[in-house]
Amino acid sequence: MTTLRSTAPTTSRRTVAPKKKSFLHRWSGWLFVLPALLFYGVFVLKPLVTAVEYSFYDWNGITVATFVGFENYVRVLTDPQLLASIGHAFFLIIFFTVLPVSGGLLMAALLRELRSKGMGTFARTALFLPQIIPGAAAAIAWVWMFSASGTANQMLSAIGLDGLTRAWLGDFTWSLPAVGVIGTWINLGFCTILLLSGTGKIDASIYEAARLDGAGFVRTLLSVTLPGLKQEIGVCVTVTVISALASFDIIFMSTQGGPGYSTMVPGVQVYQLGFTQSQVGLASALALILTALILIVVLPLQRLFRSED
Amino acid sequence: MTQNEFRTSRRRLLTIAVAATAAFTSGALTACSPPGSDGANAGSSSPTTVSTEIGSVPISLTLYDGAGLKAIDDALIAAFRKKHPNVTITARFDPDNVQSVNAPRVLSSDSPPDIARIGALGETVKSGLLTDLTPWASAYQWEKLPAGQLAQYKSTPDGVRGAGAQYTVASGFTVTGFYYNKELLSRLGLSQAPKTPEEFETALEKAKAANLTGIIAGNQNGQVATSFQFALNRTVGQDKLNSWIFGQPGASIATPDATSAAKTISEWAAKGYINRDTNGTQASDAMGRFARGEALFFASGNWDSAALQKQMGENVGFALPPAADGKAVAMSDPSSNFGIPAKSKNKDAAAAFLNFLTSPEARQIAVDNGFAPSGSGEQPTGNGALSTQVQKAFADLVLADGQVQYIQNASNGANAAWTAQIQLLVDGRTTPEDMLKTVQTQYEQDLGK
Repeated sequence: MTTLRSTAPTTSRRTVAPKKKSFLHRWSGWLFVLPALLFYGVFVLKPLVTAVEYSFYDWNGITVATFVGFENYVRVLTDPQLLASIGHAFFLIIFFTVLPVSGGLLMAALLRELRSKGMGTFARTALFLPQIIPGAAAAIAWVWMFSASGTANQMLSAIGLDGLTRAWLGDFTWSLPAVGVIGTWINLGFCTILLLSGTGKIDASIYEAARLDGAGFVRTLLSVTLPGLKQEIGVCVTVTVISALASFDIIFMSTQGGPGYSTMVPGVQVYQLGFTQSQVGLASALALILTALILIVVLPLQRLFRSED
Repeated sequence: MTQNEFRTSRRRLLTIAVAATAAFTSGALTACSPPGSDGANAGSSSPTTVSTEIGSVPISLTLYDGAGLKAIDDALIAAFRKKHPNVTITARFDPDNVQSVNAPRVLSSDSPPDIARIGALGETVKSGLLTDLTPWASAYQWEKLPAGQLAQYKSTPDGVRGAGAQYTVASGFTVTGFYYNKELLSRLGLSQAPKTPEEFETALEKAKAANLTGIIAGNQNGQVATSFQFALNRTVGQDKLNSWIFGQPGASIATPDATSAAKTISEWAAKGYINRDTNGTQASDAMGRFARGEALFFASGNWDSAALQKQMGENVGFALPPAADGKAVAMSDPSSNFGIPAKSKNKDAAAAFLNFLTSPEARQIAVDNGFAPSGSGEQPTGNGALSTQVQKAFADLVLADGQVQYIQNASNGANAAWTAQIQLLVDGRTTPEDMLKTVQTQYEQDLGK
């Protein structure tokens, strides 16, 4: 944006100054962008292009690679195990996005009510805490809680549900939801804080008017808070959907994709293929397909949540 | 600014972005020789003249290993320096699993270490990253090392292990077997640790009847594979199994013999001989629970002996896996399989260090650090009853020449495949036949057969 604004003075000068000078002047803006552009090129574009190149080769990372055309892509799109990992990532959206955003909305509305009563700061801090803990560390803590003698099972036993206790992360049916819960725990705080700050920008008089009209908590939430937070919800959904589809740290630290292949996600699969199995080409193809999928999901979301004005 | 100008500058921005992208793209694509063609194979990998003399001129070497092996490496380096004061060895460590992931790239870099732990020996040799040690092997008479150890140092140029030229020497060995809880054993009316598969199975039956866990395993890390390979060593046999792990042409794990071993394990799991939550238990937790007396047996290796000795005192014992015909066979591989990268500039000095690893001093250092000693000779003294028992087991194993490699090391993808498949097997979600077929497919794909 800075670049665009820097051209503004030329508008007035254009009538008098010769065109050559204004041309130089316009280009000088790019000098300021150059360092950032260079970094962007070297650290974002170059790796991306390299990944595209690798994806067409069968390469172990060391010796001379063989060109295989689209074979790696075909493999990703036909191998049931790789496809299943993509399916798992989409399933995680329920836990990484749907639950945290709806929970965060409720929390934000409740905290807005609490704000005057002094508990707000404490509640905000407590809710945001998971967000400042690295995902890898959180995963380790949750591994303990999900273990056979962990907190989760102790709580179930305490209320007489011994029949439900199990080693959650070792269960073929429950490991993926269990891993999802870790994501919910981490993302809930982020959504709450973002939505809470959004409520601050909604005109207080609208809330007052709603109250005068006799609207209760739920009515206010649906008719005032929800529409007022459209953009913030858009940001929450976008960020959390990406965290679900590109998830790596939580799963890598808690289950490594097991038991069997029940929690395998593309992020972990790419790591395994690329670094432990030395199939750099296949790993690159899977990573690029994952990137494309994320874009396909996220771009329409952006459009959906864009504000009218 | 006017609409028009805004549009122009937007268009220009776009043009530049496209140009930049195009420049980078063409930069990457026009240099369009395939990835990896920029000379990984540089450096002579088989020298003609070598020397066992390293003189007195100051030499500095770098050693690259996994962080878990820092204690033993530091002790070895200090002892080597006492003999050769002119050689300074600087050690560089990465976390153990990171080391094995990074090693190929570190070895092919422009300034590789002079001594490095080699994980996938066959792959590394195939990539031309290692020095062929044949000339030093004859100078130092390494051919006299125990055959079972020597096999783990060799590879053919196309990556088949167990035969061909020597590329490495181990700093020490791991040894596997099962730990047993003495008190629980006597409570079940058994006077000593089982020696045959039949005795072992009887002990498991009795434990089950007494409502005890027979074997505790952390199968979240694929630890049931240890018990599985104990059975596999017996049914398939040491030589056949090693040739599969070494990647010899035509070798297959999807055989009736291997299937019968897998059947044993799936039956044990179904009968409840293995802890029910094994898929949700990590290896470290399994050891902790064994130490607290939760199970009769814990199939593992020397690396757990120090912790178990400390926590269980006199109550714990160690034995080699039950043998059918009295011949001891167990998994045992190098703790660090040290090779000399092809690009190293101080190969004579590095080879002198490798030779030092089989000396009596180095063997004592290995034992002091909880590993079994490299080479052969008088057995160094262990510290503590359990450690002595582990060392005795290793000595027996070397004597019987019964060292087998770990099935997880058969190929790059083998570890992940075994872990996932064994998890499926104990939960009854795959059959022994399907498990072995899946692993075989992964193995063939990894080895490019």
